[in-house]
Amino acid sequence: MKVTVFGFEDCPFCQKTKRFLQARGVEYEVRDIELDEEAAAECKRISGDLAVPVTTIDGKNYVVGFDKRKIEELLASA
Amino acid sequence: MSIYDFTVKTKRGEDKSLADYKGKVLLVVNTASKCGFTSQLKELQKLYDDYKDKGLEILGFPCNQFAGQEPGTNDEVQQFCKLNYGVTFTIFAKGDVRGETAQPLFKYLTAQKKFEGFDMNHPVAKPLLDALQKNFPEYLEGDGIKWNFTKFLINRDGEVVARFEPTTTPASIAKDIEKLL
Repeated sequence: MKVTVFGFEDCPFCQKTKRFLQARGVEYEVRDIELDEEAAAECKRISGDLAVPVTTIDGKNYVVGFDKRKIEELLASA
Repeated sequence: MSIYDFTVKTKRGEDKSLADYKGKVLLVVNTASKCGFTSQLKELQKLYDDYKDKGLEILGFPCNQFAGQEPGTNDEVQQFCKLNYGVTFTIFAKGDVRGETAQPLFKYLTAQKKFEGFDMNHPVAKPLLDALQKNFPEYLEGDGIKWNFTKFLINRDGEVVARFEPTTTPASIAKDIEKLL
């Protein structure tokens, strides 16, 4: 399972999402939409917006924001 | 001393003299990081779209000093952040706007126009005040910037004519801008 978190450095909810995944022992990749234009384009393609964090596994199903319950559901669906 | 004597840093780190804006009506705003109050960015953009051809410039100064104080409980506050994408007015380099480390421009602006309280009719006023009293009571003292989206209106002669707190929406100051254009 490869989890990707789109976010940027100053975003506290992105930090919370990362800590949440760490605590659950989930491996994830971080993509910075502020520094990396490709990551921004990808984030927009997936969610239609540049609101982050966006957590996704397959690039189709995703969760916007630090919503523990929805992130749990997303992980369980994989 | 006037606003035209100040030099600020662009996002690329270059110097920009505010004298370059002589003759324009200016709205100087400390913009949020990218979390909370983002609807004000949208409204500021609307003001810019409506009035830029008549001589309005909006100068945004991002600041991290207020990042920790999201007003309201976690249930009420959106749990996401958004980049300033879609904003076409000028956003300068990130920097401090209050306290000892404040950029000189903001020391000048807050000395010109004092803090006169929040508009308590704004829905966020009460939670914002509560959050400040609880976490940063010192921010409430004096005339320093209290939170993101404090707006200063400057006329074509460089005079600071008004200060609007975060609790005054950009849309509601359109009439004040029109008077100066």
